[in-house]
Amino acid sequence: MVTKQDFERISDCVYQVPQKFRGDMRVPARLYASNELLEDALQDDSVKQLVNTATLPGVVQYALAMPDIHQGYGFPIGGVAATRAPDGVISPGGVGYDINCGVRLLASHLHKDEIASHLRDLTNALYKNCPSGVGSEGSVPLTAKQLEEVLERGSEWALKNGYARREDLDRTEEFGCMPGAAASAVSARARERGREQLGTLGAGNHFLEIDHVAEVYDARTAEAFGLFPGQIVVQIHCGSRGLGHQVCTDYVNEFQRAVRHYKIELPDRELACAPFDSPEGQAYFKAMAAAANFAFANRQILAYHVRRSFEEVLAGKVKNFDLFQIYDVAHNIAKIEEHEVEGRRVKLCVHRKGATRAFGPGAAGLPADLRTIGQPVLIPGSMGTASYVLVGTARAMAETFGSTCHGAGRVFSRAKSKKSVRGEVLRQELEARGIVVRAGSMSGLAEEAPQAYKDVSRVVDVVHRAGISRKVVRLEPLAVIKG
Amino acid sequence: MSTIIASTMKRFEEIPHTADWSFRAFGKDLRELFANAAYALFELEGARARPTAHETARDIHITALDYEALLVNWLTELLWLQEVHREMYPRCDISTLTPTELRARAFGVPFQHLDKIIKAVTYHNLVIQQTTEGWQAVIVVDV
Repeated sequence: MVTKQDFERISDCVYQVPQKFRGDMRVPARLYASNELLEDALQDDSVKQLVNTATLPGVVQYALAMPDIHQGYGFPIGGVAATRAPDGVISPGGVGYDINCGVRLLASHLHKDEIASHLRDLTNALYKNCPSGVGSEGSVPLTAKQLEEVLERGSEWALKNGYARREDLDRTEEFGCMPGAAASAVSARARERGREQLGTLGAGNHFLEIDHVAEVYDARTAEAFGLFPGQIVVQIHCGSRGLGHQVCTDYVNEFQRAVRHYKIELPDRELACAPFDSPEGQAYFKAMAAAANFAFANRQILAYHVRRSFEEVLAGKVKNFDLFQIYDVAHNIAKIEEHEVEGRRVKLCVHRKGATRAFGPGAAGLPADLRTIGQPVLIPGSMGTASYVLVGTARAMAETFGSTCHGAGRVFSRAKSKKSVRGEVLRQELEARGIVVRAGSMSGLAEEAPQAYKDVSRVVDVVHRAGISRKVVRLEPLAVIKG
Repeated sequence: MSTIIASTMKRFEEIPHTADWSFRAFGKDLRELFANAAYALFELEGARARPTAHETARDIHITALDYEALLVNWLTELLWLQEVHREMYPRCDISTLTPTELRARAFGVPFQHLDKIIKAVTYHNLVIQQTTEGWQAVIVVDV
């Protein structure tokens, strides 16, 4: 069991369990946290999971966790681990079941005062046009052939079929299409689950939100991103739906055999892995990339419906109802990237599970107009609380494989949240604060109560103080749409 | 051969888990444990059958490396059938159960409502243990 005394303090917001703490650790385990968030992290198994991650074959420098750390399976949520490519391992547990769960931010040309009288109609239109909830069916049913194209082309498929603009792809991580994806690596079962789910929000902690820009911390970067004070923006938070879950299930199962075959000893079966350059490792990477593409296309279709909803409600009532894209980030994914390790550029498989890429100025992979600025980083808060837009930094590139936090991080179980919060009461409290709510399930709403999460502002303050991403604006909600 | 559920034994209990959902299933023997784990899945989902629905039998054959993997694969199979057929499977007959193989017949009933969908069954903290009363297993699921 890890205690606070086992940590060394590296700097103001950085703590580390040394490699000598446990005999199977290959590298130290490093946590970005304030003193309070470190105490929170020690309440569940998340720190033990972080230490477990440091045992993966090929892991380099240190296993990392962000200040929104909480217990997951295998990796903690908030975990980042880079393994040496090509012979280090790839682990589905380091990506998560919801492959490419992520956030997209759309922005308007409107100030919040311009839409105040239309807010409820806008919320209702979004709820109507964006399928959500348990078992919801897709707005874009696909043939088997079309699904294969989505898996291999992602947002490019959406562009070709009239759901996207070229600028949307420019402002998406990986430009909306992960290289190396292969539909053939995705099982028939996973494809069956995905075929009728494209263009759906899902349930759980997935949501749409209409927000406004409540505070600007970095005016120059905000302007470069396209953000201004009081601006109306829309967040979309969802992932690869049942298809991604099935891919993860399939390969965690497959890798139970791979672990024995490659004689890999692990402290946790959810860390099941295979060498990246093995047939098993390659198959998972190709399937994961395909599922990631499905999620990019999913958020693109939802963005299309959001634009349609704004047009439906606001055409003829405001000067310009158009929405443009700020950025789209993944926070459950594994990427092949080059980073500097001990003075040398090294090719790595970077796992981010509940962590966001935060590339700094000059990094490869950024859109041309943001290359000197850095990557937008989208951090959704828990329901009814603030969200943030940050920017990636050179320090992230140097210290965290270009990574930062992803959100608030849970502190209560769903069961505890449902016992202590009533969904209908919560809805009324939010409405009393001027936040319009449309939710398919009051019990689902209760599970997502803000009390069940850490304070996202405390999480963001840590990464800002540590310099691995910098605050640009704070968003506050006006409407929440959930399944 | 039907799986008999002992009326005095608790079938499962929920366990708090920060990010997802967890339960402990019980059984007087391994077959009952596996059957009760399946029952727990649909109870946790809040699955309610359509009032006049009749059962459809689905034959299931699973292989795996060990009992723990077999349990994960068994529950995963039931979730897959739920998605494809829109059925719930609170009742089953397990005819074969070895460390590496399971054969069963699951009786599907169309559901009219689910509070939530369990998306995946994980290996997290999964241990099948013998106790003085029989067997138990802790299972964490992703929702």
